[in-house]
Amino acid sequence: MRSIRFHGRGGQGAKTASRIVGTAAFLEGLTAQDSPLYGAERRGAPVSASTRIGREPIRERGLILQPDLIIIADESLIDDSSARVLDGLSERTAVFVNTALGSEQARDRFRIPGRVTALDLTDMTLRQFGKPVALSAPLGAVACRLLGLKAESLRAAVAGELADLGLPEAVIERNLALAASCYESVPLVPVEETAGAMPAPVPLWTPVYEPPTVGSARISASANSPLHETGGWRTFRPVLVPDKCNGCWLCFVYCPDGVISMTKDDLPLIDYDHCKGCQICVQECPTKALVAEREQEGAGTWRAK
Amino acid sequence: MPWQRETFKKIKQIPREEHVLPGTSLCAGCGGLEALRLAAKVLGDDVVYVNAAGCFTMLAAYPFTPFKGSWLYTTMGSAPAGAQGVRDALDVLIAKGRLPQRDDLKVVVLGGDGSTYDMALSSTSGAIYRGLDFYYFCYDNEAYGNTGVQLSAATPYGARTTTSPCSLQHPAGTIQEKKDIFEIWRAHKPPYIATVAPRYPLDLAEKFARAATFTGPKLFLALSACPTGWLYDPGETPEVAKLAVETGLWPLKEAINGAVTHTYLPKRKPVEEYLKLQGRFRHLFEPTKQEEAIRHIQERVDAYWQRVTV
Ligand SMILES: Cc1ncc(C[n+]2csc(CCOP(=O)(O)OP(=O)(O)O)c2C)c(N)n1
Ligand code: SF4
Ligand code: SF4
Ligand code: SF4
Repeated sequence: MRSIRFHGRGGQGAKTASRIVGTAAFLEGLTAQDSPLYGAERRGAPVSASTRIGREPIRERGLILQPDLIIIADESLIDDSSARVLDGLSERTAVFVNTALGSEQARDRFRIPGRVTALDLTDMTLRQFGKPVALSAPLGAVACRLLGLKAESLRAAVAGELADLGLPEAVIERNLALAASCYESVPLVPVEETAGAMPAPVPLWTPVYEPPTVGSARISASANSPLHETGGWRTFRPVLVPDKCNGCWLCFVYCPDGVISMTKDDLPLIDYDHCKGCQICVQECPTKALVAEREQEGAGTWRAK
Repeated sequence: MPWQRETFKKIKQIPREEHVLPGTSLCAGCGGLEALRLAAKVLGDDVVYVNAAGCFTMLAAYPFTPFKGSWLYTTMGSAPAGAQGVRDALDVLIAKGRLPQRDDLKVVVLGGDGSTYDMALSSTSGAIYRGLDFYYFCYDNEAYGNTGVQLSAATPYGARTTTSPCSLQHPAGTIQEKKDIFEIWRAHKPPYIATVAPRYPLDLAEKFARAATFTGPKLFLALSACPTGWLYDPGETPEVAKLAVETGLWPLKEAINGAVTHTYLPKRKPVEEYLKLQGRFRHLFEPTKQEEAIRHIQERVDAYWQRVTV
């Protein structure tokens, strides 16, 4: 059996990618299991999905604690401790990162032991679609290739899963083309079979019940949500071109998260620790003084504090 | 005489201060959050929010809160009852002198359309009947959003939800018409009700300022364009909200003691322009155009405006 854990942000398509791999494996006569995991959080927040494929019936259930392959849809997740992307990683784990860095650079930059492979899926998707859309097909393609699943199985799985989502024919066609090129171009690393033994059972944890005065969730701090950073949710960052700005306030008024404030001279100031990258300010700016730049290495890049 | 704004005339009168702070876990580009943030700029900080389960559950996900004031979480059906309890407690404490009058708070219910139109309707009816002094802020994303976009009584005809998919029997998706909650509230004779859309921030702010002068139940129905449920790019949220108003599908209006005024008269673009932007209506255009369903939506809008403008 081989176990794959996908990590992405809500809306990036990790859940569908996991289904694509499961379906492709199933089409090759293997048994497959896939289960996404997302909390109550929303588009942009970390999500994961666990896929198991094998020749024998699969008896394990639940989250994969020691994956053979980790697929990371967004490099900002590696720095986000709540996402727990590298949990259960060992030297024999293969890790794929969607990044503009090469495999070696990614390995050093993110300090990942084990076998790292990388490809800029976001860039390939942008070139195919002209805008940032879900990465399900590229992520699924990369995983299928690394697992040694056939190109035809991938094709059938992508077509089937995307049709189930109600995507129009033309969009599915372009996803198929994109998946094929990702399948071709991902640098290969070996993915090993899980060493037979089941993980040791975890003893049951018995909670200690406190009286309601201690045990119930009360928020006695006020206005502390800024401690929760959402800057890592972005794929694109709004950047100001100051001489184009006429100080009209529209970006400030329309930002849903209230992360734009206006200076005394009526120039917008963006709080990048919390900007989710929705692009509303970019779309609404009448003078095009805000431009979307892909979130990449460099100053301004979000880093968890 | 056409409706006039008295307090908010220029965009730079929108208060700079933020009362819903960043760091919440709502989707990037959430139109409901956009509306709440603008409303809170007028409501201020001296507020108790009474929140029915829904997407806004994620506003104050433990241990974080974006509010300087208080937040009480209730079940989907009982936020107005919760608001009654908070109002009564404040009144009693003030009457007994245990809380100075200046520490009084506004009580604001936050409810999705699922609770507002469906589950909490009876407790809301009771609260209005009792003349409860509160604001009811409904962020209308036209579906049960938090649980994965299921049909609600606010889902418009022709939209696709996970429980009203486009199918052989129902090619248009949802076949029910959106419940007219504005009129249901109006029949209860509260002092103030209004619809708002975040793309019209001055209209929105003005209505909250006006409502503050009324004691009793006050309703705000906020069009909450929802990228996740309506299937469009988050950056388009204001555009979608704008087209909802400009096509006449989302009339901006208020009713003071039952008398309705439309606060903005759109030129009325064809509804298609609004529908086309959103994946939840895509089946009306692809693979074959469902002329009949689109015409039906247009006719309903036309009939509405004909009724209210004669
Ligand atoms: C009585 C009851 N049924 C079901 C649920 C599960 N539930 C939690 S949030 C939610 C969706 C609420 O929809 P809506 O009120 O429209 O708000 P939105 O999620 O769109 O913000 C549901 C069904 C619940 N909390 N209580
Ligand atoms: S992209 Fe613009 S509108 Fe969206 S959260 Fe960031 S600053 Fe606000
Ligand atoms: S919307 Fe554009 S022009 Fe207006 S203040 Fe913002 S950046 Fe400047
Ligand atoms: S699902 Fe829609 S209404 Fe709910 S948080 Fe996301 S964008 Fe907002």
